[in-house]
Amino acid sequence: MTEWAGRGLPPAAAERMKRFASTGLRTSLLPVPGAVGVQSVGFDPVGEVMGCIVEHIGWSGFGGCGYIGGFGGLGIGGGTLTSSGSPRYVGFGPYVDALYRGYGTALGRMTAEAAAMDADGVVGVRLSMSHLEARSPLEAQLGAGNREFVALGTAVRSRSRHRPGRVFTTDLAGQDVAKLLAAGWVPCAVVYGISVAVRHDDWRTQRQASWGAGNTEVFGYTELVTHVRADARYRFDQQARSAGAEGAIVSSMGLQIGEIEPSENHRDHVAEAGVFGTALVSFHRGSTAPTRSLTILPLR
Amino acid sequence: MTADPTALGIPEDAMRRLAEMRPGQATSLFTSDLSVNEFLLVREAGFRPLGLVLGSSIYHVGFQLSRWNSNQELTVLSQAMYHARELAMTRMETEADQLGADGIVGVRLEIEFKEFGSDLAEFIAIGTAVTADEPQAPDGQPWRNNQGQPFTSDLSGQDFWTLIQAGYAPLGMVMGSCVYHVAHQRFWQAMGNVGQNVELPQFTQALYDARELAMSRMQAEAERLVAEGIVGVQLRSLGHRWGGHTTEFFAIGTAVRPLRADHVIVKPQLVLPLTDS
Repeated sequence: MTEWAGRGLPPAAAERMKRFASTGLRTSLLPVPGAVGVQSVGFDPVGEVMGCIVEHIGWSGFGGCGYIGGFGGLGIGGGTLTSSGSPRYVGFGPYVDALYRGYGTALGRMTAEAAAMDADGVVGVRLSMSHLEARSPLEAQLGAGNREFVALGTAVRSRSRHRPGRVFTTDLAGQDVAKLLAAGWVPCAVVYGISVAVRHDDWRTQRQASWGAGNTEVFGYTELVTHVRADARYRFDQQARSAGAEGAIVSSMGLQIGEIEPSENHRDHVAEAGVFGTALVSFHRGSTAPTRSLTILPLR
Repeated sequence: MTADPTALGIPEDAMRRLAEMRPGQATSLFTSDLSVNEFLLVREAGFRPLGLVLGSSIYHVGFQLSRWNSNQELTVLSQAMYHARELAMTRMETEADQLGADGIVGVRLEIEFKEFGSDLAEFIAIGTAVTADEPQAPDGQPWRNNQGQPFTSDLSGQDFWTLIQAGYAPLGMVMGSCVYHVAHQRFWQAMGNVGQNVELPQFTQALYDARELAMSRMQAEAERLVAEGIVGVQLRSLGHRWGGHTTEFFAIGTAVRPLRADHVIVKPQLVLPLTDS
């Protein structure tokens, strides 16, 4: 088997596209309600499509909190450093860049397969990231391992004369796409925003978080989670805006926060936030939606 | 939706619109935490989403000793829950205010205790800020409540739409919280219950007191907003991390005011689905 250089689709995927072009056999990952949904608004499922990349994240960034500290929590500097705002010699900028490359490449390869099938869009996209085991105990300890990013969906083609010019993607289910189209909205792209921020546990934070502190907000941690979520939301907005969208529906928002101890008596907290969703654009020309919903009461 | 999609230009117009999109073209962008159903129904109710709004606070919940044998409210813990929720809600309302919203729908209030530190919990309030298509409600009053704040509502999009159809407007989320310690039984008392069908009066009284405190605090918040009623009330008992005998009783609902005198809704069509779920 010849080595694949990493450009375009891998040989196995290109083979599958060739076979599809000759036999025209359709496949679909849509469940029945999803399939009925897309067909009711004029789309035909064409085939399942997948994009995948295994990435080795060997360099997460310098990782520091920017705190030039004295003993315990006293010192100068600090505050929350997000992956977007901080200078490159601190924080986790390269790690976030690697995540963006992973998700972006997986989505790109998935849309390339859809384009090879002559499809107009991909619905029901499932984006996932999983850790493959590190190749050595040292790698595992450094937190640098291999990650697999997978994007899976069902390519659809519309029964219309116009072609959209590029493949639209959405993580919404087939029924949701049908509801949006009937109301005059069309999804255009899966958008996401990811950010990692680090903050040093300064003296005030340590005091407020200790067991005898009484009822008090912990300003340091609150600032950390607020900044990291704000940065993730900002990047989500920017991605939707740069796609030329009019709106975005968030499907999931997650936050993980943990502590690290880079050296004796020096504790930092790191938070990672991710926002995933679909960007939309409206196509109905009137001021109100073309259809209205019907109130029903199921007899169950 | 019984109309023929092709006659409405679906998907022809949709594909044409996608072909017209240019990366980076200026548009007004909204974001929304609503599900697709909620998004469409909130639009039908006459509101447009402006943006996802969020407020959060990581709070250290203070320590309070409780006496083994007595039923008591743990006021330090109650105050902690109130203060932390208020911080999260206020920050969310400030974001909505900055967007110029009339209200926030689909509010989710979550508490997550953290593994690190001691007794640290994150309180989050997330919702979608909306603005009404018409500047005033059908009764001529503004949509914001008497505190000048955007209204908040934890009702789902479907419930929100039904509420507006029924002639009510949301005023704000109202909450009552009470962290209560239920007394342990004395040894011989516990022995005496073995094999008996008997009511345990101090447990009954403790749970009554705790729930009544939570509900009356919720009612007091609704009275301050001059509401006619509270809908969508949930009364929850949450153990958090304090162990079996200390529980937070939490009552939450949406205070409403009437938009018109009658509250008759269109009778829904009865259908028999072909699936069970």
